[in-house]
Amino acid sequence: MKRVLIIGSGISGLSCAIRCAGYGIHATLISPYPSERAQSVMAAGGINAVTEECEEGDSVDSHIENTLRGGAYIGGKKAVSGLCGNAEEIIRYLESIGTVFTVGTDGRPYTRAFGGQTHKRTYFCGASTGKQIVSALVMEARRYEGIGLIERRMGLCFHSALIKDGACYGALVFDEKTRTIETVYSDCVVMAVGGQNSLFGKTTGSSLCDGYAAGRLFRQGAVLKNLEFIQYHPTTLETSQKRILISEAVRGEGGRLFYTEDGKRVYFMEDKYGPNGNLMTRDVVSREIYSASKEVFLDISFKDKQFIDSYLPEVRDICRKFRNIDISREPIPVAPSVHFFMGGLAVNLNHETNIRNLYAVGECASMYHGANRLGGNSLLAAIYSGNIAADDISGRESALKNVDFKDMADHANMELKGMLDSDSPFPVMYVRDMLAETMRKHLGIVRTEESLVKGIEDVEYDLSVSDRIKYDGSVSAYTNYSLKGILTLARAVLSCAKFRKESRGAHYRSDYPKESEEFGCATLISFDNGDYSIRSDKEGVYES
Amino acid sequence: MKVRILRCKTPDSDQYWEAFDYNGTTDISVAGLLEFLNYNDDIINDKGEKTTRIGWECSCLQGVCGACAMVINDVPALACETFIKDLKGEEIVLRPLRKFPVIHDLMVDRSMIQENLKSADIYIGEYKPGKKKEHALQYNAAKCLKCGLCLEVCPNYTNGNTFYGALFANDCYLVATRNAEKAKTIRKVYGEHFGRGCSKALSCMDVCPVNISTLASMAKLNRG
Repeated sequence: MKRVLIIGSGISGLSCAIRCAGYGIHATLISPYPSERAQSVMAAGGINAVTEECEEGDSVDSHIENTLRGGAYIGGKKAVSGLCGNAEEIIRYLESIGTVFTVGTDGRPYTRAFGGQTHKRTYFCGASTGKQIVSALVMEARRYEGIGLIERRMGLCFHSALIKDGACYGALVFDEKTRTIETVYSDCVVMAVGGQNSLFGKTTGSSLCDGYAAGRLFRQGAVLKNLEFIQYHPTTLETSQKRILISEAVRGEGGRLFYTEDGKRVYFMEDKYGPNGNLMTRDVVSREIYSASKEVFLDISFKDKQFIDSYLPEVRDICRKFRNIDISREPIPVAPSVHFFMGGLAVNLNHETNIRNLYAVGECASMYHGANRLGGNSLLAAIYSGNIAADDISGRESALKNVDFKDMADHANMELKGMLDSDSPFPVMYVRDMLAETMRKHLGIVRTEESLVKGIEDVEYDLSVSDRIKYDGSVSAYTNYSLKGILTLARAVLSCAKFRKESRGAHYRSDYPKESEEFGCATLISFDNGDYSIRSDKEGVYES
Repeated sequence: MKVRILRCKTPDSDQYWEAFDYNGTTDISVAGLLEFLNYNDDIINDKGEKTTRIGWECSCLQGVCGACAMVINDVPALACETFIKDLKGEEIVLRPLRKFPVIHDLMVDRSMIQENLKSADIYIGEYKPGKKKEHALQYNAAKCLKCGLCLEVCPNYTNGNTFYGALFANDCYLVATRNAEKAKTIRKVYGEHFGRGCSKALSCMDVCPVNISTLASMAKLNRG
């Protein structure tokens, strides 16, 4: 039987595992914690699909065009067509496994409007769509666990991939309990590890998504793509512990953005972009809030309480719990914050990286979203990418023939033991905090060459410090060994942002404020003997 | 203000109490407090001694993932949505959930939750709803965080026993109502692993961070 190793058990990892199991392939799902802790449960607003019940005038072509336009036309048309063309099947599948969608009196799922889209096509479950989908997928995965086709192994973290002659044969994983590194062989490895949040310290997402795997694989030869495109979600709420996402669903249900001038409300998005101004794409809304330089509010209080209780209960609860704001009576103070990474591991249409048998799915893969992601497309892409990777894997011959990575595993264990036996005066968390400060400062909504160069210098310094750090016993071993991979990724992100001398989607350069034809394609970056080699994907190798 | 924490270095080592001084704002959550205590380069306890960072689990920091479940002043709760200003008394006492094996400090091994659900084969399979429309209850039941707070407070639950607790009952309810064809089978395992063992204390409902009505789930499964 073929075996696939899936690193990460959020929606994309679960989808891939379930689809593989459906083909009779054995899937091992590895993660430090259960799926309920994955960032997927935080996805709020909904999932896009044009179905036979669609709004009049809507079509799959329109969904494709909206996605390409929202991504400033550097997402690949073939890839996006596949995503949107399969959306209806995905909604039907989610319904069939019992996902609790918000439904009308006829029992059929409702749709709501989302940003950057010409039609109302976002299916949803209140404002906890991700959580409801995770609950359904966890149960479905359990069905296959019962018959031995899916095996869950928790408490394990990714260490590195087993790569030889451009092909992947499994991974080394670290067990924090036993403090050892284990070799797991498999025919294919699927990375489903989420975004790169920890580069920025805290984001709207999970603190468990740290970008280490992408950084480590980059050092092992994997190509990364479009790293400069980082989505700032326009509406997040300041709380004492982080900025919490206020779902786009609020604007989808009619919420209005405003600031106050001379005692009067100014609905600046509607003034500038017309009646649908509040639902412009996230990059546009974030820049408008940023340039307003005033405290901006999101108002939904004009809707009756029963409506809010039915359609936005989670938003109501967040505002009440963390800020004591009653959204049925008062507006919500909002500001942009880092939310999603359009960049990540470069993959082809089947979600395979440049390393044979190594796949990437979900947010850690760069695909579909181009320079800016539409709300409602990330859940869709998470499921679709997991499915596509599984479909491709099902057609592969078993690759495991006489491979032996014992030397690599022994070396990794020896390195780990050396680290654990040492003591370092440098606290790892201090370096992580310095990195977050650098990234927030130099990779904000508006960027410049000068600032990016300074950012690269700062991260280079952090990287040089990381080489001197042995072991900081005050944090976990994983936090120690992951530092270099995270810093390497940060260096790559800054380099890509410096390379793209134009403004497009979520990447805005005040020194190059216009879009340039020269940069009308993806950015690719590889790690060649310590050099960060960057090029434009002019041939459209990855997703055209 | 004193913050007393029941700590533990490794799964095999003994637990011990360590206290910290905190004089900051009370308008932060216990998660915010733990981050504050862990933030400095050197972590100093209330005796002025250098100590290690406090281990605790977190992911979302907004009450939707259940990672930071712990016992706060004797009440099982999520650290990220328990605010210091709402706590009574002069000190804050934090301890790991008592019903699960401790891994490190406030982190526990809750894998038994998944093991129990797996052993009882709890899954919907195919959406075949019954006649009754119970969307709101189903929606809420599916929001279960699997955080373990309901098990922590339950007088009937012990780790490794055949009574699986409120989260199990709620998953059974979800399966029985989303796939009516499985209702009969599910009722059987529900009886075996919940119905017969529940003493109806219902304290699980007081601590559930997403307000799942276990009583409603029980009513549905008990009546048939």
